[in-house]
Amino acid sequence: MTYADENRYPPSATGWPLPHTAPQSYGPDSYGRDPYGYDSYGHDAAPYGSYGRAPWDQSYEHETDRRRADLATLRSAYRLLRRISTLTALGSFVVYVVLSCYAPGLMGAKITGELSLGMALGVLQLVVTFAAVFWYGRSAQRSVDPLARTVRERVARTGRNAGVAG
Amino acid sequence: MNDFSSGTQATVLILFTTLVTVTLLMCVMAGPDRDDLTNFYTGYLSLTPLKNGLAIAGDYISAATVLSTAGIIALAGYDGYVLAVSTALSLVLLMFLMAEPLRNAGKFTMGDVLARNMPGRAVRIAACVVTLSATLPFLVVQLSGAGSLLTFILNIPHLAGARTVCIVIVGSLMIIYAAIGGMRGTALMQMIKIVLLLGTSVVVAALVLNRFDWSPGDVLRAAQAGSGAGPAYLRQGLQLGTSAVDRLDFASLQITVVLGVACLPHITMRLYSARDVPAVRRSMSWAVGTVTTFCLLVIIMGTGAAALVGSRYITAADPHGRTSVLMLSQVLGGARGSLGATILYSAVAGMVFITLLSSVAGMTLAAASSLAHDLFAHAARRGQAEPRTEMTVAAWTSVAVGTLAIALSTLVENWDVAVLTTLAVCIGASAVAPALTYSLFWRGFTRTGLLATLYGGAACALLLMVFSKAVSGTPAAVFPHADFHLFPMQSTGLVSIPFGYLAGWLGSRLDHRRRAADSREHRRLYEESEARLLAAAE
Repeated sequence: MTYADENRYPPSATGWPLPHTAPQSYGPDSYGRDPYGYDSYGHDAAPYGSYGRAPWDQSYEHETDRRRADLATLRSAYRLLRRISTLTALGSFVVYVVLSCYAPGLMGAKITGELSLGMALGVLQLVVTFAAVFWYGRSAQRSVDPLARTVRERVARTGRNAGVAG
Repeated sequence: MNDFSSGTQATVLILFTTLVTVTLLMCVMAGPDRDDLTNFYTGYLSLTPLKNGLAIAGDYISAATVLSTAGIIALAGYDGYVLAVSTALSLVLLMFLMAEPLRNAGKFTMGDVLARNMPGRAVRIAACVVTLSATLPFLVVQLSGAGSLLTFILNIPHLAGARTVCIVIVGSLMIIYAAIGGMRGTALMQMIKIVLLLGTSVVVAALVLNRFDWSPGDVLRAAQAGSGAGPAYLRQGLQLGTSAVDRLDFASLQITVVLGVACLPHITMRLYSARDVPAVRRSMSWAVGTVTTFCLLVIIMGTGAAALVGSRYITAADPHGRTSVLMLSQVLGGARGSLGATILYSAVAGMVFITLLSSVAGMTLAAASSLAHDLFAHAARRGQAEPRTEMTVAAWTSVAVGTLAIALSTLVENWDVAVLTTLAVCIGASAVAPALTYSLFWRGFTRTGLLATLYGGAACALLLMVFSKAVSGTPAAVFPHADFHLFPMQSTGLVSIPFGYLAGWLGSRLDHRRRAADSREHRRLYEESEARLLAAAE
C-alpha cells in the first residue's frame, strides 16, 4: 500500500489538464518535506520583485483571478474523483446488499462446491478494496496533487503581495 | 466449555500483567509535555503514515467489532459476512469521501471542523454533545462487556461482584492511558494492539483452515452442520429474520454501518494528526489494508467457530456469541492442559484484552478531548484558555468521562446492552455524517442547519432506538418482558439518516430566508477557507 513510485511522475507526464503555472522547481521529494512549497518561493522572488514597482493592484487583481480559476479547477478535479470513487464503492455495496435481501435464490446459487455466489461476491468486494485504494491513491496523485500544489503556491504569492501593499 | 487447568489461568494472568505493564510504561514515556497542546491532541504530527495508519486501524477495530462481528458470523453466517464487508467499506468510504478535506479543515476535534466557518459557542456545544452521545454508549457497551468477558477468560465464577471488579479495573486502566498518554500514548497502544490482533488472527485462521486441509468447502460444510441451520447458514436472514420488514431492517443496518462507523469522532480524530495530504492518504491506505485483511480473517475465524465449536455451545456461553473466538482457540489448541492449548488460548485472551483496553482508552480520549477543547476552551473560555490549563482540563475530563462510563457500566452489567453499539453507529450515521458532509462540501450550509442536523439527527436516532424492537418487545431485547415498541426494526438508520440530512437542509433554507446576511457571511467564510480545505494552503 505504499507507493514506491511516489512523485516519480513529473506533473506534465500525467495526461491530466495542467493548470497554467510557472515552471516548478520541485525536486522529486520536496512535496513530502515541504508541503507549502517554500523552496520554490525563492526562485520566483526575482521576477516578482520588479512587479512591485508596477501598479500593483492590477497585478494583484490578475493574481486573484488566476487564484480563483485555479481553485475552481482543483475543486472540480476533487469533485470528479470523489464522485467516481464514492459512488462506485457505495453503489456496488448497495447492489450487493439489495441482491442478498431480495434475490436470495440468485445469491445462494452454488458456484463451486459449497461456495455460493453471495459469499464469493462478499469476499471479492473485500479483495477488490485493495485495488480500489491503490487506484484512488494513484489517481489523486495525478489529478489533484499538482493542482493543489499550484493553488498553494499562488496563495503564498498573493499573500505576500498583499503584505507588500499593506 | 471453559474448563481448563489452573496453569492456563496463571499464564493468562501473567500475560495480562505483562501487557498492562509494558503498555503503561510506553504510555508514560510517550506522554506529552505538560504545556504543548498540539502534542497532547495530535502527538507532534510526527507519526509516519504507516504508524498512523496502524493507529487508525487500531482505533477502528474496536473490541465490539472484533467480538460481536465474529459472534454474528459464527451464529448467523451470511449476515455476518455482509457485516464484515460493510465494516471494511465504511473506512474505504471515509478515505474516498472525506479524509483529505477533513484533515485540512480540522485541528484537534470535530468541533474545530464544524466551527471553522461558523464561529460561536452553540456550534461547539452541539459538537461536544454529539461526540459524547456517540462515544459514551460505545464505551459503556464495551466496559460492561469487559466484565463478563474477563470472568469468562479467567474462569472466575459468574458472581456480580467479580464482574464489577473487572469493570473497575479495566476502566481505571483506560483512564490512566487516556489521561497520561494523550494522543501519542494511545496511538502507540493501538499499534501494539493491531499488530497483536493481526498476528493472532492469522495464526487462528491458519489453524482453522489447516484443520480442514485448506479446503474452504469443507469448512463451510462443517459450519452449516455446526450452526444447526443447514443451508440457511449461507443465506441472508438468520440474524434478523426473513420477513419483508426484517429484510429492510437488515439492509438499513448495513447502510447505517457503512455511513456511520468510520465517522465516529474517535476515528476522525486520528486524521488530524497526519502531517499533510499525501500523508493522510497513505495513512488511510494502510488503515484500509489492515482493516480489510482483518475482516477477511474474522470471516474465517467466525466460520471456524461455527464449524468447530457449534452454535449450541456458543449461545450457551453468550447469546451474542461474543466469546466464540475464545472458544474456538480452546478447541484448536488440542488436548486440555497441553502446551499448545495454553499458548494459543493465552495469546487469544491477550489479544482480546489489549483490544478491549485500547479501544476504550481511545474512545475516552476522544470524548475527553471534545469536552476540554470544545466545551471548556472554546465554549466556556471563548478560546482564551491557556494551553497548560486546557491540558490539565483534558486530563481531568478523561477521569470524569471514564468514571461516568464505569458507573454506567456497573449499573447495566446484568442487562443485555448490545443495542448501545447500534445506537452509537446510528448517531454516527444520522448526526455526524450529515454534519461533516454538509460542512465540508456545501457552501450554503448555515448555523441553524448545522445545529438542526446535529441535534435533530441524534435525537431522532435516540428516540427511534428507545421505541425500537431492540429495546422492548422481543425475547432478545434489553427489556424482554416489557413491550412499548413502536418502530418495528433493530436499527434506526432507514429513518434517522434521511432525517438528519433533511434537518440540515431545512435549517439552512430557513436561515437563507430569515437571516440572509448571516447565511451570506457563512458562504463568504466557506469560500475564503476553501483554499485551505482543498489544498491545505494557509
